Amino acid sequence: MHFEIAYNPAHSLATAYLGPHESFRAEAQAMVSMSSTVRTETTATSKGQGGFLRGLKRAAFGGESFFQNRFSTDGSPGQVCLAPALTGSMVVHQLSVGRDLFIQGSSYVASAETVELDTQFQGFKALFSGESFFFLKASGQGPVLINAFGAIEERELSGELVVDTGHLVAFESGIEYTIGKAASGWIQSFLSGEGFVLRMRGHGKVWLQSRNPKEFGSTVGKLLPPREG
Amino acid sequence: MKYDIIDSPDYALLQIVLSRGEQIVAESGALVAKDTGIAIQTSMRGGLLGAAKRKLLGGESLFQNTYTASSDGERLFLAGAAEGDLRAKVLERGESFFLQSGAYVAHHGSELKIDTKFGGVRGFFSGVGFFMLRIEGPGTVFYGSYGAIHDIELSGGSYTVDTGHIVAFTERLDYRIRTFGGFKGLFFSGEGLVADFQGQGTVSVQTRNAASLASFLHPFRRIKPRSNN
Repeated sequence: MHFEIAYNPAHSLATAYLGPHESFRAEAQAMVSMSSTVRTETTATSKGQGGFLRGLKRAAFGGESFFQNRFSTDGSPGQVCLAPALTGSMVVHQLSVGRDLFIQGSSYVASAETVELDTQFQGFKALFSGESFFFLKASGQGPVLINAFGAIEERELSGELVVDTGHLVAFESGIEYTIGKAASGWIQSFLSGEGFVLRMRGHGKVWLQSRNPKEFGSTVGKLLPPREG
Repeated sequence: MKYDIIDSPDYALLQIVLSRGEQIVAESGALVAKDTGIAIQTSMRGGLLGAAKRKLLGGESLFQNTYTASSDGERLFLAGAAEGDLRAKVLERGESFFLQSGAYVAHHGSELKIDTKFGGVRGFFSGVGFFMLRIEGPGTVFYGSYGAIHDIELSGGSYTVDTGHIVAFTERLDYRIRTFGGFKGLFFSGEGLVADFQGQGTVSVQTRNAASLASFLHPFRRIKPRSNN
C-alpha cells in the first residue's frame, strides 16, 4: 500500500491506495471517503498493536482518538481518502527497521499495518508544565502519514536545535531531547510566553509545524461563549 | 454574465461581470465588493414558507440578495464563508445537481430551481442537518467548500463519503445514509454518518470539515460558572 498527498500546503488530502489483501490503520476521525471494496473495523485491541491497554495509553497520552480504524481489502484493490481536522500539510515518511519515528500525538494520521505504534511516556516535567507532549513511537517498516498545523518543515539535524513543544511534529530516533526553559531564568521564561522547549541533540530528521494548535485553540476558544463544565 | 474564479483553491474569490439588467442571486453574506451601480434587493426567495423551509431544513439563511446591474461591465465579487475553493456548475434545461445545503453561494438564471431535499432520517436527528439542495437547470450555480474540492468519478460501483465532507454530486447518483464506526462524533461531528453512493457520476468532496474544526475548538472554550440555584 502507499499514500499520495494532494492539495498541500493548506488543505491537504491523502489517498491510501490498497492492493488486494492489504491493510492500514488510521486515526478514527481521518476518513473522508472510500471505495466499497474497503472493509473497516474499529478497534482498540488487535494483534501487534498492543491490545487494550496500549490503546488506552494512546488515547490518554498521545492526544489521539482512542479508537483507530483498520481499513483492509479482500481480493480487489481499494482507495481511502484521509484528512486531518485542521488546516495544514501532510507528509509521508517511509519508516525503516532500526530507525524509529517519534510522532507528537495529534500529528499522527495513518500508517501501514506493518508499522507498530507505541506510546512513549515523556516524563514528569511535561506533566508538571501542563503541556502534554506525548509521543507515539512508530517502529517497523512501511509508510507513516503525519500532518502539521500550517506548513511542515523538514530539518536535517546535526548538532542541536531548540524547538517549541507546540511546533514539533515528529523526529527520528538518533535524536535525544531534554525539556528546558526557553530563557535562562524561570521568570523570564514564563514572561517570554514560550514556556517549555525541547532541546534536541543528535543526527536525524526533525519535522516542525509553522503554527501551534494550542495557541490557535486558545485564541479562538476564549472568544466563544462559555460551555457547560 | 462572465465569471472568473481567482485565488483558488485555498481562498477562492468569484469575480462576475454583468451586462445591464443582468441579475445574480446570492446567499446573504456572500458579498465581498461590487460596483456602486449594482442594486441590491433582499428577499425571501420562494416566499415566506419556502424561505422558512430552507432555513429550518437546509441551514441556509432566510434571505437572499438579488444583484442587478445598471450598466454594462459592472463587477461583483462574491466568496464563501470558509477558507477553500469555489466552483461553477452550468446546468442545461432539465439537468439537475445536488449540493450540500451549506455549499450554495450564488446562482445565475431566472429559471433555475432550487429545492431543499431531506437527506435522510439520521441526518435529521443528528442535528447537524444533512440536507441537500436539488438544483435544476437551466442556469449556473456557484458553490463553495471548506478546503479543496476533490472529485471522485463513479462508474457503477458503490462509494462511501463522510457526510461532513460532501459538497456536491451529479444527478444519476443515489445515496443511502448510515452510521460509520470509529466513534467519530464527539461533539459536533454528526454522529459519524456516511453516505453510500451508487450509480454513475461525480461526487465532489471537501478536504476539510467544519464539524471537525468545531470539535477541535470546543475544549478551548471557557467553562460556564455554576449558578447556585
